[in-house]
Amino acid sequence: MKISVQIAMVLNLDKCIGCHTCSIPCKNVWTNRPGAEYMWFNNVECKPGIGYPKQWEDQERHRGGWELENVHLRLKAGGRTHKALNIFHNPDLPTIDDYYEPWDYDYQRLIDSPRRRHQPSVRPRSQLTGEPMDPKWGPNWEDDLAGLAETGPGDPNFSGLEMDAYLQFRDVFMFWLPRLCEHCLNPACVASCPSGALYKRAEDGIVLVDQERCRGWRYCVSGCPYKKVYFNWRTGRAEKCILCYPRLEAGLPTLCAHSCVGRIRYLGVLLYDAERVTAAAATPDPRQIYPAHLDLLLDPRDAEVQRAARSQGIAENVLAAARHSPVNALIKEWRLALPLHPEFRTLPMVWYVPPLSPVASRVASEETVDALDRLRIPVAYLANLLTAGDEAPVRLALKRLGAMREFMRSRRVEGRDDTKLLDAVELDPDTVEKIYRLLALAPLAERFVLPTAPAVTDDGIFRRQGACGLGDAV
Amino acid sequence: MDLAYTLVFTVFPYLCLTTFVLGHAYRYVTDRYGWTARSSEFLEKKSLWAGSTLFHWGIILTFFGHAGGMLVPQRVFDFFGISAGAHMTVAYWSGLAVGVAAFVGILLLAWRRLTQPRVRVVTTVNDAVTVGALIVVSGLGIYNVVFGHYNVLYTLAPWIRGIVTFTPEPMLMREVPLSYKLHVTAAWALLGFSPFSRLVHIWSAPVYYLLRRPIVMRRLTQF
Repeated sequence: MKISVQIAMVLNLDKCIGCHTCSIPCKNVWTNRPGAEYMWFNNVECKPGIGYPKQWEDQERHRGGWELENVHLRLKAGGRTHKALNIFHNPDLPTIDDYYEPWDYDYQRLIDSPRRRHQPSVRPRSQLTGEPMDPKWGPNWEDDLAGLAETGPGDPNFSGLEMDAYLQFRDVFMFWLPRLCEHCLNPACVASCPSGALYKRAEDGIVLVDQERCRGWRYCVSGCPYKKVYFNWRTGRAEKCILCYPRLEAGLPTLCAHSCVGRIRYLGVLLYDAERVTAAAATPDPRQIYPAHLDLLLDPRDAEVQRAARSQGIAENVLAAARHSPVNALIKEWRLALPLHPEFRTLPMVWYVPPLSPVASRVASEETVDALDRLRIPVAYLANLLTAGDEAPVRLALKRLGAMREFMRSRRVEGRDDTKLLDAVELDPDTVEKIYRLLALAPLAERFVLPTAPAVTDDGIFRRQGACGLGDAV
Repeated sequence: MDLAYTLVFTVFPYLCLTTFVLGHAYRYVTDRYGWTARSSEFLEKKSLWAGSTLFHWGIILTFFGHAGGMLVPQRVFDFFGISAGAHMTVAYWSGLAVGVAAFVGILLLAWRRLTQPRVRVVTTVNDAVTVGALIVVSGLGIYNVVFGHYNVLYTLAPWIRGIVTFTPEPMLMREVPLSYKLHVTAAWALLGFSPFSRLVHIWSAPVYYLLRRPIVMRRLTQF
C-alpha cells in the first residue's frame, strides 16, 4: 500500500445558482493576460448544453481521455507511435473557435467622440486580430438554456433519453455545472505530454504544467477529456488550473471556492492507495469505475492507514486534515458526491453532489422510485453525467438529500424525529445532523480543511527579520 | 582569391557553427521560457495540415539524405559496391522527392502566414526571416537537383567532411558551380541564425517520451 495525498473538491450542485462569481476572481488573478483571454480555468456551464469548448464531453469528436484496449489502458487519441507520426499536426486539437474568439470593446470611442446627434456606440473587436467582429459564441453562451433548441441535441448526456421531450418548454430542466481542472489520479494530459512538462505533485496531487519545459506540442489540450488544459496562443505554451496552489500551501481555499456566494464548494484532503490507481482506471465495465474509484480512497481514521502513512513520511498536519476532511465525508462516508464522467477513466478529483432542485416536498417518504422519477431533472441524465449511466448511486445520493430535508423538517417543524425516513437510506440522526450542518450551515473553517505546506527549512528566517537583506555576507 | 575562398568556405562556416553551438547554449540558459515552436495550429488548423506535414517530413528526410550522402566518403560506398554513378542516381531521385516536399511545404506555410489574418498577428519579423531563409536554402537546393547536374562527391562532399573533421580545405570548392556555393553559404547562415529563432524546437524532439512512464510525479519537498 503506497499512500498518496490528494486535495479534492466537492461542489454541491443543489445549491449552485449559476452566478459565475467563482469564475471572476479566477479570471482576474490567473488568466488576465495576453494569449489567455479566452481561458477560463473555472467556468460555469448551464446544463443541458454542449458547454465550453463546444461538445467537450463528446470523446468521439475530441478523443480525450483513456480507453481500454483488451485489458490495458491507452490514450483514446492514440499512443506514442501515433503521436510521433502526427506531431506536426495534431488531428484532435480543438481550435480557438471551439472555445470562442475573445473580444473587447473600444471604450475610448465613447470618450473621444465629437458632439453628434446620436450617442456614440462601441463595437466588439476581436482580441486576436483587432478587427471588428460579431460575437457568435462565448464561454457561457448557453446560460439559462439560451439556444438549447439548437445546441441541445449535441449534449451526449441525453443518451438513452427521449431528448425531444426534454427540449419541449413544458418539460425542460436546467442546472449549473461549474467546472475546473479535475486534478485526476490518472491524468490523461500528463500521459499525453511529449516533453514531460505536465506533472502531478506528490504532496497534494495538484497537476501542473512546467512552463519552462513545455514546448507547445499541444497533446495535453486534446488529451484532457474535460478540455481543461488551454493553449496560450501568444506564448505557444499550455496553461491550466493550478488549484491556486500558492493559496493552498498557505492553508487558504482556492479563489473559486472562497468567492462562492452559495458556499457550494468544499476542499479537503483525501488519502488513496497509489498502487491500485491504474487497476481502478482499467476496470472493464465503465459503470464499475466509480466503485473502484471509491475503493481507492483510504479511511483516514483507520489506525493501520495512519501508521502506514506516518511510516511513508506523510506529515502529521496532513493526516489531521484528512481526518477532518469534509470531502472525504461527502464522497466516501455519505456517498453524496459523485465524480464527473468516470467513464473517461482519468479518476477525476472534483466531485459533485447531484442537484435535487427544484425542491420537492416529498422525496424520501413516498413510494420509493416514483418520487425520484418525478423530479424535474431526469435521474438518467444525472447518471450519464456523473456515474457512466448507473442510476443507483445517483438515486442513493438524491434520496439521502431528500431524507435529510424531510427529517430536519420533522424535527424542526413537528418537533419529532421521524427516523423511519432515515432507515430507508441507511442513515442515523447523528449523521443526518452532520450532513445538514456541512451542507447548510458550515462556516469557512469546516468547508475548507487544508493543511499548510511545510515551510522550506530555513532556521535563519526570524533572525534575519528586519535585517538589511544582504544575508550573512556583511 | 585564395583569401576569399578561405573567408567564405572556412572562416564563415566555423563562425556560423560557433554561433550555432554557443547560441543554443545561451538561449537555453537565458530564455528557456521562449524555447518553443510557437505553434499556430490552435488559431488556424485547416490550411496548416498539408504545409506542415510536407515541410517537416521533407526537411527531416532531406537532412538525413545530406548526412548520409555527404558525410560518408564515396570509397565506403565503393566498398559496398555502390558506384559513384549509382550513388548520384539514388541521391538525385530521393533528394528530388523529399526536397520538393520540403520546398512546397514551406511555400504553403509562407502563404498561410501571409493570408490568414490570425496567423499573421502572431508572426514576428524573426519568423519572416526564418521562413525566408528556409525558402532560399531549400529553393537553391531544388534548383541544384533539377538544373545543377553536378557531381558533388569529389569536391563538395570532401569539403563538408573537412569542415566537420576540423581539416578544412576551402580550395575544394573552386570547381563547384555558383548555385551550389550559394546553397551551402545560405545553409551555414541559417544554421548560425537558428538558435535565435523558433527553429530551436528541433532540439526538443520528444525522444524521451517513447521511453518514460505515462504519469509523471514530482516531489517538491521531503516531508
